[in-house]
Amino acid sequence: MDQEHSQPHYLSLKKLLFNMENSIAHRVFTSRFGSPKQTTIIVLLLMLLVVSALVASANGSFNLSFIDLILGKATTLQSIVMLEIRLPRVALSALVGASLGLSGAALQGLFRNPLADPGLIGVSAGAALGASIIIVISPAFLVNSFLGPFLLPLAGIFGAASVIFLLYLLTHGFGYQGVTYMLLVGIAVNAIAGVAIGVLTYISSDAELRTLTFWTMGSFGGVTWTLLTPALVIIFSAILYMLPAYRKLDLIQLGEVEASRLGVDVKKLKYRVILSSAAAVGASVALSGMIGFVGLVVPHLVRLLGGVNHNYLLPASAALGATLLVSADVLARLLIQPAELPIGLITSAIGSPFFLWLVFRLKKNDY
Amino acid sequence: MTIKAVSVDVSIGEAQLLKDISLDVVPGEVLALVGPNGAGKSTFLSALAGDLILSRGQVFYNQCDLSKLSIQERSFYRSVMSQSQPMVFDFSVRNIVEMGWLHQGHGFYNAHFSLATQQVIEQCNITSLVERRFNTLSGGEQKRVHFARALLQLWLPEGSKECRYLLLDEPLANLDIAHELSMLNVIKQSASSGIGVLIVLHDLNLAAKFADKIALFDQGKIVRLGTPEQVLTEDSLSTVYGVPVTVAQTPLTISYY
Repeated sequence: MDQEHSQPHYLSLKKLLFNMENSIAHRVFTSRFGSPKQTTIIVLLLMLLVVSALVASANGSFNLSFIDLILGKATTLQSIVMLEIRLPRVALSALVGASLGLSGAALQGLFRNPLADPGLIGVSAGAALGASIIIVISPAFLVNSFLGPFLLPLAGIFGAASVIFLLYLLTHGFGYQGVTYMLLVGIAVNAIAGVAIGVLTYISSDAELRTLTFWTMGSFGGVTWTLLTPALVIIFSAILYMLPAYRKLDLIQLGEVEASRLGVDVKKLKYRVILSSAAAVGASVALSGMIGFVGLVVPHLVRLLGGVNHNYLLPASAALGATLLVSADVLARLLIQPAELPIGLITSAIGSPFFLWLVFRLKKNDY
Repeated sequence: MTIKAVSVDVSIGEAQLLKDISLDVVPGEVLALVGPNGAGKSTFLSALAGDLILSRGQVFYNQCDLSKLSIQERSFYRSVMSQSQPMVFDFSVRNIVEMGWLHQGHGFYNAHFSLATQQVIEQCNITSLVERRFNTLSGGEQKRVHFARALLQLWLPEGSKECRYLLLDEPLANLDIAHELSMLNVIKQSASSGIGVLIVLHDLNLAAKFADKIALFDQGKIVRLGTPEQVLTEDSLSTVYGVPVTVAQTPLTISYY
């Protein structure tokens, strides 16, 4: 300690700067988010996200003007609608979009399988099942305690993690040969979860369970800050945990053995990606139901836009996923006013033809 | 400073793939493993690389026990090139080569990054391929790109004393004669710059011409170890391969028909 104190002042400053260079400055600037073109795409996507969030919070069945609100001209009712209804809704749709896009990209990378999508492989269904079971069975005192808001996302995460674990067992540790297997398991899990959720919604009188449509096609409606905040914290930390794995996800494209020869602890990487995507998808589905095809379509669009390296793919998929769901939610609210379309209807309408196109492309071995 | 294997056994299930193998890979030397199919050459290479769990024996990298080195530490000592899997996503050749760069995030090494990649790309003669998509390359071209990646993994600035090793499992498969020779020359160059090379080869002529030492494998054991002249004799080759072999020495090659 004494030695350090006796150092001239400039030395410790230099040390500080050097450490900066190695950590923060490096991560933000020198490692870049891919090439200059890719960085530009990410910045543009983020700008698009801000614009769509502004549009989304200003539009809906209730008239609102952002400018009025900022200038203080809005009525109390208007500001309540904005702060308590619109904003949480926009925040939820953005976070769900980001987690679905990012998890899709990371799972596709980890499995080396362009068809891996949290929806297709059954992870979302597992999360929905977990969440709906907890709603039916959880006792009232637990729900009313401070733990209450955490119950739902945690149940979703548990459901999602169980499905990924099952996939892991059935595909012998996500070997490359497991592509077909994974999709078949996904079909089975989707069917099982569909039946279970259906039965639960019919036998349960609990209004909290909402409708079958909510679970199968998703909705961002009716969310409150109390319910939202824990999920936001979980999703946000999952995203932050996932993003720095970009280089390892690049290396694992060479195969697991090759990646470990290049210094990647493959087991750790698997745990990391699985844990964070289960957390992100689980918490998302618990609050908004199953929203299909975002995790599949978004990473592919991002690859087509700018490339396949994960330092670009991961953040760009998160940004595009968020933008896409925020805009889709605006459509859902505006198309058949004053009623609302389920959000999953819109994403599936866009996503399923895309999925078909992808299958045809795969057949030609373009990937 | 060597990679040292000390009485290594490897068994998978009932089958004993390697029996009591001791062998050193020495910096500055090219050591070739030859032998019939299934003799255990590739298994031994994997054992040295640290991919397998040994049933018995130990491997040392520069006197450190391999099993005590972390996965990341291992990657600084040795790079491996073997049969590679197809790439699912459409990476560029440059992306693939750059995957060999281990020093992401270190200020000092970032400064060398462009120089190192450029050197390796020129050394492996793949300048014309660099901007292409990896999946559009032929099998032989892909091999050369992976080779460049393996070299980049070991790259250190001139004058570095750290001992590093290059483990190559049939790097010449799918290559035409010209690229075969040029890759072997690059391997020779790396060896003379102080890298220890272990190479699994099928072509005995090339092994005789390029290797400093040869280990002849048969049924999981080393039958002979020494200079090409000591190992590649009519007697030993005929026994191991089970076909009559004649060795005729010409100024350049040993023919074995």
